[in-house]
Amino acid sequence: MATSDASGIAEIVGRVLVPLCAASGALVLAGFFFPTLVGEAVTGPAWLTIALVFFSSGLCYIALLPYSEDDTAPAAADVLLRVRRTDVRQAVREFLTQHEPAILTFPVLVFAAFFGLQAAYPTRTTNAVDAAAATVLRGGGPLFLAAVFLSVCYCLFLLVGPWGDIKLGGPDTEPSYTYPTYFTLVFTAGIAAGLVFWGPTEALFHFEQPPPYVGVAAQSPEAINGALLYTLFHWGVSAWSAYAVIGVPIAYFAFTRGAPLRVSTVLAPILGAEGLDSVWAKLVDTLAVFATIGGIATSVALVSEQFLAGINYQWDVAAGDVGPVLFVGGLTLIFVVSSVTGIHRGIRRIAGLNIVLFGLFALLIVAVGPRSFILQRGTQALGTYVVAFVPLSLHTGGQWVTEWTVWNWSWWFSWAPFAGLFVAALSRGRRVRTVVFTSVVATSAATMVWFLLLGGTSLFIQQTGRADILAAIAQRGGSEAIAGFPLFASLPLGQLLMFLFLALIIVFMTTSADTSTLVVSVLATRRGLAPLTTHIAFWGVFQGAVAVSVLLLGGAETLQALAVLTGGPFAVISLVAAGGLTVTWYRNEQDHTSLVRGAVRKLPDIQTHHDVDPPEKK
Amino acid sequence: MANVPEDSSDRTLEDVFYPADRVPFVEWDELSGAKPTVVLTGVVTLLAFVTGLSNLSQASLALNGPLTAVVDLPLPFVRFGGVLFAFILGVVTVGLQRRKRLAWRVAAVVFLGLVLLPLATFQPTDIPLLVMTLGTYPLVVRNRHRFDQSLDLSPIQIASLSAIFGVILYGTVGAYGLRAQFLELDSWSDAVYYVVVTIATVGYGDITPVTAEARWFSLSIILFGTGAFTVAVGALIGPAIESRMATAFGVMTASELTLLEDHIVVLGYGDVTASLLDELGDETEVVVVTPDEETVASLQGEGVNLLTGDPTDEDVLRDARVGSASGVVVGSNDDARDVLAVIATKNVNPDIRTVAAATAEKHVEKFRAVGADEVINPRSIGGRLLGQSVLGRGSSEAVLDRIGTGGDGTETDAPN
Repeated sequence: MATSDASGIAEIVGRVLVPLCAASGALVLAGFFFPTLVGEAVTGPAWLTIALVFFSSGLCYIALLPYSEDDTAPAAADVLLRVRRTDVRQAVREFLTQHEPAILTFPVLVFAAFFGLQAAYPTRTTNAVDAAAATVLRGGGPLFLAAVFLSVCYCLFLLVGPWGDIKLGGPDTEPSYTYPTYFTLVFTAGIAAGLVFWGPTEALFHFEQPPPYVGVAAQSPEAINGALLYTLFHWGVSAWSAYAVIGVPIAYFAFTRGAPLRVSTVLAPILGAEGLDSVWAKLVDTLAVFATIGGIATSVALVSEQFLAGINYQWDVAAGDVGPVLFVGGLTLIFVVSSVTGIHRGIRRIAGLNIVLFGLFALLIVAVGPRSFILQRGTQALGTYVVAFVPLSLHTGGQWVTEWTVWNWSWWFSWAPFAGLFVAALSRGRRVRTVVFTSVVATSAATMVWFLLLGGTSLFIQQTGRADILAAIAQRGGSEAIAGFPLFASLPLGQLLMFLFLALIIVFMTTSADTSTLVVSVLATRRGLAPLTTHIAFWGVFQGAVAVSVLLLGGAETLQALAVLTGGPFAVISLVAAGGLTVTWYRNEQDHTSLVRGAVRKLPDIQTHHDVDPPEKK
Repeated sequence: MANVPEDSSDRTLEDVFYPADRVPFVEWDELSGAKPTVVLTGVVTLLAFVTGLSNLSQASLALNGPLTAVVDLPLPFVRFGGVLFAFILGVVTVGLQRRKRLAWRVAAVVFLGLVLLPLATFQPTDIPLLVMTLGTYPLVVRNRHRFDQSLDLSPIQIASLSAIFGVILYGTVGAYGLRAQFLELDSWSDAVYYVVVTIATVGYGDITPVTAEARWFSLSIILFGTGAFTVAVGALIGPAIESRMATAFGVMTASELTLLEDHIVVLGYGDVTASLLDELGDETEVVVVTPDEETVASLQGEGVNLLTGDPTDEDVLRDARVGSASGVVVGSNDDARDVLAVIATKNVNPDIRTVAAATAEKHVEKFRAVGADEVINPRSIGGRLLGQSVLGRGSSEAVLDRIGTGGDGTETDAPN
């Protein structure tokens, strides 16, 4: 009944949201359609506020809309009455008893300690973390490269091999999510606003500083191919396979073997069924919670800074020091509402909106962008990517690879516990082949198309000299946040593209943060219990609070480095998980056919048709 | 865990991750019917109007969209097109809401015209209109069968409309033919302008007939034109006023009834109807069909739709749109007529869910035999509630809750 409680509150909030959304929406539309009449009557910061209020109230409203299959919710008055009756002390006690003590306290203490150190000794903390990160990434570079490469190979094997046939949850289980929903949720949860920011930027950076593997002169025409190639490599199949390698074992042991739906379940074949209560399992779960909160909170903080930096660059609207904090507050409100309303309401609807905006933006870029250039260079880069995938994956050369590839892989691995667990939860009733296809092939296809479109366009604009994006970035201290604006300004429909770009940033961040909130609260709640609305809200607000602290005390990059460091253990865990899963399946799941053998069987077998004799010649 | 309140125990991880049997990407059924089509057409109308105004408010309008490379659109068309299309679409939206076939045909053409405008100017402000139009068009095409009502014009309406059309044609051709006998009338557009200005009795006087023939001709336009115009106004507005009056007296007109969809039809008014209407509340639209004028008068202003007619008559049921209703409740105090009403309902729409209230236990099986999906005997439920309550097996609310979960209350054929 926790959900119906929430829908009672939803009714109350809805009554506030509708007028707010309508009023701000009307203002935004008036400014959009009559820029000369209305647009100049309102100041820049006011526009920013109105637009953000419109957007966040709209998102909250669609999250709160009731789901058709839900039972009738209690009236708003009942909920208010219950709120009045609730005893605070009892509520707190209940909150504590329902949580796993270690998972509740450890991340809270670590973040408190980090912020304490950051406030007391900012430079020393930053230096220490940076040194640790540099050491781990440099020393562990080969490990990350190997882990990612093995993950890709393992995913390929699952895709075509016999075990792709295994249906998660037994042969009679039906999936609870239709395929479009499944893809949308997996895709939008697995990737955040980084996709949007780096879309126009990453290829440009590789164009300016060609990777050593490509070995061409900077900003030369040959550098274009290398730049697109490395962008595809960093955001393609390799990155996404990290989620599948964590997700598939969780899903298999949870749905077919009855293990709990937690990250530590990947260790089931090693620890055994009883071992999932052990310290090791708790350690893995705690680390997963820490990695997730660290990863999401720093993303939220960085995204809000970059969002406002972009707006400052383009429209010269200074948000001040309070701006990012308010922005994070609004974002936190949206993702808390979204995750509290549940997967079928807020999370699914905002994810749907996200994918629609994403597709619309890509279509607009196709319409106004340099199509033939993108097509020609894109297919070329894609061809090179396929041919050179193995050498690229195993290329360990020097500082550049550590700073880009290894850092990236570690970042993806630090997101793998939450994204992998979410993929696992959604995959009940699906075949392993479908899971791998969706979470690796389909999602990476979507990101690769995006990077080819945006990266190709920005390279074209830069190379033909229609805008000097690199100079603009350099002028702002190398921030990737602003690259989109000079790019879109040089295209037709530039203003519209910028609006959509900013909207995409917010939606992409929300869709990752709401799933991470849900996953963290599931992990932190005692086994067998479901997180209550209050738990989900607590963890959502906690993530927001970490983001705000990062903004106030500084050290977003440092905390990000700390979160990235957790990618190391998960790289190892994912390899162990894949190994354990292979052993389990080798013992228990022998009666499946691979795609290859299935295809061979379908070929007509000529020798068996003894009864058909060739017609005799007359 | 004694201190855990009861609402935590019944939520499991299952509920968190699998809240429904099947979670679709979008609720297509809810968003692709005739009603959403009408709403979206309304939104397109509004967007076309605002976009048109926005284009008008700009000092200069550049035509640099992809369409200009293919065809040469006249600038005035692009400038005023948005607002003009919006006016047409406004009428069309009303027609679509009444499920008119003609409105659908016009919409199908106007939408295509509306796509041309954003493609000609291709400004950021035009893109929402383009996207909305392209998004609504498939829905309009998909729901083509839902807009099947003919315009149903009365002979006088047809006559007056064709008279107006005829006069304009006659006036235009005639004025162009006699252009030598007019001052400042040189082209076809001048002829149209002259005729409209004359019929509307505005008569600026910039174009004037100078010969006797031309004057007689102009007089004939004024007489026939204003005459036809006046008759048309009367013929078109009159029925609307009539239907307003009819509604005020508790009878829904056919055009109002055509708007109903997924509503509940209540046949007959009996002891249980009042509490039934309370229960249905604002959740869904309800039409009460009863032959009793007094009941109709007493229900005025209660927020339910009323139709005076015989609930056992198939034609009346068709008027109440039983074909597109989501359910029918049969519940007057006369079981014999109710059985007839169930038969009539099933004749009109065999698939509709029909719930009947039987006043006597012995009639329950008869209702089932004629096809009622569910038969409830309010008296036996009441008696059992009384019994449960006096024996102290929980309050009547708890028993009612059990009934609500599909329990024993509906098993009226079980021996009591």
